[in-house]
Amino acid sequence: MADVMNVGVNLEAFSQAINAIQALRSSVTRVFDSLKDGMKNKETLEGREKAFITDFQDNLQSVNRDLNELERLSTLVGRPSESHPLHNSGLLSLDPVQDKTPLYSQLLQAYKWSNKLQYHAGLASSLLNQQSLKRSANQIGASAKRRPKVQPSTLVLPIQYVDDVISRIGRMFPDLSIELFRPNGTSAVLLVTLGKVLKAIVVMRSLFIDRTIVRGYHENVHSEDGKLDIWSKSNYQVFQKVTDHATTALLHYQLPQMPDVVVRSFMTWLRSYIKLFQTPCQRCGRFLQDGLPPTWRDFRTLEAFHDTCRQ
Amino acid sequence: MGVTCVCQVPVAEGKSVQQTVEQLHKKLEQLGAMKQGSFFVDCETYHATSNASGQPSKLLYVMHNSETPLSCLALFEGGPFLTADANFDVLMVKLKSHFQNAKGHKVESRGARYRYCDFLVKVGTVTMSSSARGISVEVEYCACVVPGDCWNLMKEFMQSFLGSSVPELPAVFSSKPEGLFVPTDCMDTMSQYLELFSKVRKQQVLPGSSVR
Repeated sequence: MADVMNVGVNLEAFSQAINAIQALRSSVTRVFDSLKDGMKNKETLEGREKAFITDFQDNLQSVNRDLNELERLSTLVGRPSESHPLHNSGLLSLDPVQDKTPLYSQLLQAYKWSNKLQYHAGLASSLLNQQSLKRSANQIGASAKRRPKVQPSTLVLPIQYVDDVISRIGRMFPDLSIELFRPNGTSAVLLVTLGKVLKAIVVMRSLFIDRTIVRGYHENVHSEDGKLDIWSKSNYQVFQKVTDHATTALLHYQLPQMPDVVVRSFMTWLRSYIKLFQTPCQRCGRFLQDGLPPTWRDFRTLEAFHDTCRQ
Repeated sequence: MGVTCVCQVPVAEGKSVQQTVEQLHKKLEQLGAMKQGSFFVDCETYHATSNASGQPSKLLYVMHNSETPLSCLALFEGGPFLTADANFDVLMVKLKSHFQNAKGHKVESRGARYRYCDFLVKVGTVTMSSSARGISVEVEYCACVVPGDCWNLMKEFMQSFLGSSVPELPAVFSSKPEGLFVPTDCMDTMSQYLELFSKVRKQQVLPGSSVR
């Protein structure tokens, strides 16, 4: 009974601790984000290094602060049940006839095994995914599923194959969620959501991208009758501009022999918009030009530029 | 609903509120912003009359925003917040025995609404019992919903017409543990207005500034 009371009292501390964990996670993310972005554009090399180092220090300090806060809170929370690392199933270990019914130790073993299994399965699936262009990866299904190269026309690919390629791409990019629809017959329409930044509708003909339209994260992608709205353009000028650039990208990435590579390169390029509002232009160093952030992304380096700064 | 930032702009030296507002309008128009109608935000204060528990009673603020004409927002000091239908006002009249309207505490901000690309700028005169108390500027970046993403971009925009009086990141966003990473809603905007209004209320009346 006393235990129950204790837990009730600590609930407040628990919620605070959860908040502290969230804060810690976001500050750690910021550290790695800033490391990943590298040095910002400044006039001198020293200036760049200095800004980078101070940034890094600030971030580390905030991590330290959040960690201290969490440690402070963790003493408040206490340990609700010290002897039960596996919570309620830990009660099994209290069984006095351990020798006859070794349930608890078996449970621990099984738990360990399932953990290991999951870990290895994860490794195996990522290894297998890397082999996507090799013959063996495509031969899992029916014999009708040939490599696109061998077929006379890549315009008629089996639905299954398209689905495979798309889901593989979806797994490659964790911040890109891809939903596949087939509203009219066999042609696929993809709804790509990129972080909390934008939504893109990609209309495909087998594995060729036919047209694409980009809208804001909070804009409607469905029309009134509940169908995907693949025609009307975004209400925001930024996304109208991004739509134009995405159409340019479609024309740029062309490789008729290997359509899946094209889709993958396009998605890689689209993913660089995750920092649409956060990166300044790499040429002029400013965020805005004519009220628009840098909407152009270089096809090779994926650097951000204003439309007029890119030449 | 994008990311909004509400701030108070100091009245320029030797100018009246009206003249400073016109100056801001001019700057926005030079930037290329288009005027798009007008806006208002108002706020009424209510006291809780019955106070059984003996605790100091919280104030209740009922606010309206022309951007959401069918809603009415009720905010207790320090939370909780509530979004209701517009006839919430009628309900407040019925609750007269519990909540009393503090007459003369009504604050409102009225002014013009400008659009520049995906930005929405609202320059308003804050008035309290028909005397102008200050200037509010609301900047909304409609294309983005996550404050942490576009704050630097908004700051650069505000610098272009406010000059040096650019505010810091609003406390509504930074005080929530994950505030910079979650989408905003209209309550964030209104609590910023509420903060501004309570600042204005405490402020001295500007000498010689009655509205129009």
